[in-house]
Amino acid sequence: MSELLAFSNVVSGYGDARILHDVDLTIGDGERVAVLGRNGVGKTTIVNTFLGVARLSSGEVRLAGERHSPIRHFIAARRGIALVPQGRRIIPTLTVRENLAIGGAPGRNKPWTLDRVFDLFPILRERANTPGTALSGGQQQMLAIGRALMSNPSLLVLDEPSEGLAPVIIDELAVVLRQLADAGTALLLIEQHFGLVHRVAERYYVLSKGTIVEQGHLAGISMESLKKHVAV
Amino acid sequence: MLVQILNGLVYGGLLYIVSVGLVLIFGLRRIVNFAHGSLFMLGAYVGFSVAAMGGFWGALLAAAIVLALVGALLDIAILQPLQREDPIVTVLVTFGLLLILEDFAQFVWGKDFLKSPVPTMFSGSVLIFGESFPVYRLVVIAVAALVALGLSVWLRLSKIGLYVRASSADPLTTAMQGVNTDRVSVIVVALGAALAGISGTISAPLLALSPSMGSYILIESFIVVVVGGLGSFAGAFIAAIVIGQVHNLGLVYVPWAATMIPFLLMVGVLIWRPTGIAGSHV
Repeated sequence: MSELLAFSNVVSGYGDARILHDVDLTIGDGERVAVLGRNGVGKTTIVNTFLGVARLSSGEVRLAGERHSPIRHFIAARRGIALVPQGRRIIPTLTVRENLAIGGAPGRNKPWTLDRVFDLFPILRERANTPGTALSGGQQQMLAIGRALMSNPSLLVLDEPSEGLAPVIIDELAVVLRQLADAGTALLLIEQHFGLVHRVAERYYVLSKGTIVEQGHLAGISMESLKKHVAV
Repeated sequence: MLVQILNGLVYGGLLYIVSVGLVLIFGLRRIVNFAHGSLFMLGAYVGFSVAAMGGFWGALLAAAIVLALVGALLDIAILQPLQREDPIVTVLVTFGLLLILEDFAQFVWGKDFLKSPVPTMFSGSVLIFGESFPVYRLVVIAVAALVALGLSVWLRLSKIGLYVRASSADPLTTAMQGVNTDRVSVIVVALGAALAGISGTISAPLLALSPSMGSYILIESFIVVVVGGLGSFAGAFIAAIVIGQVHNLGLVYVPWAATMIPFLLMVGVLIWRPTGIAGSHV
């Protein structure tokens, strides 16, 4: 199993503030992994570290087996790691079709096309020419996932994907993510709600105060740990 | 009256070509480039020097190429290394660059005012509804219209235009998709500078050339960008045309207040619509 994303003894943060402390984390080909933790424990800083937004003070980040220093924002996508960011970050000045088209940036092979994304999310085809931010929250999440898929990732990282979504939409999202995983795309779910995680992930890390405090297979996670570290 | 409106369109066209470069650079870099007026001035001088040998079209091409190279250098050597610094640092550096470029022009071309002749192929006047109007001024309007159309088509239909629009709205999200936004930025700043150079060259037969000629149009271009809405291409177009008319009609009918009117217009628009005509942030 080849390594897609790895953190070794990572210390990172913003300015002089250190948010992550000695974080070790690995995701391999085809794996389904979750990082769990409550608000403010540093989950999004994991994303910001491999994007090069947070400053890496020490340790090592490897993207598809390669170390990059400094990490430039576009490197992760070109190394096959696509992000569905927290809050979706749909570009307001672009239509649905254009939001998807920027995901088709150069540097990767092209198994995912606009048509294939439209087949996965038919509502996006119907609303292809409307502004991306005119969609509902659930539809915007589909657009953010579709946009990430357009870069043909080996690993799809989803930061708080269930945030603000109705339970029925979360159910649909879980089905889609399972389909993607079955097709061989590795998944990293960064979540504070267990509802989506338990239907998708197989392995987990728990983050608390910027440190990994627990990890293992999801089948073995204790109720006590869930109550302490995540919203159930 | 028709002549005054056409003269307003001439000035509005020049303002548009300069200010759309500012809009492009602001969209991607989120900085106000004080050196932009100097790029306009350099374009005028480069065009003036080349026109004697290469003619009008040669001058236009040379100014666009030279200024595009200056713009690319500006982005690679100054804007990119400073992108993680406080924006005020970059603004101050571009202000310093404005002073350096003015001194450079003074060193190369001297302090005295220079006048570029109207290209012979565009000399003379035509009658429009019985009123005489210089052909060259119609050419300036046509060039501005072509720039607006070409830029709009490029931004709407090309892949790099899509990346420019995306990066202008959200550079981080665009980069997350694998787009090298630093490379996009080099293209955008080079294009913005080339447009300032084109504007400088075509304005040379209409204005007196001096090292400080960029400062005045820079201030009016800032007004265009703010009135149009920061980062908005369509807003800049509308604002440039309106301010061109206001500027020109002001000079004719209320010359004592002409310099004040664009500022009053800006204050009025910002009270009515704080985001500008078509912008989302100020």
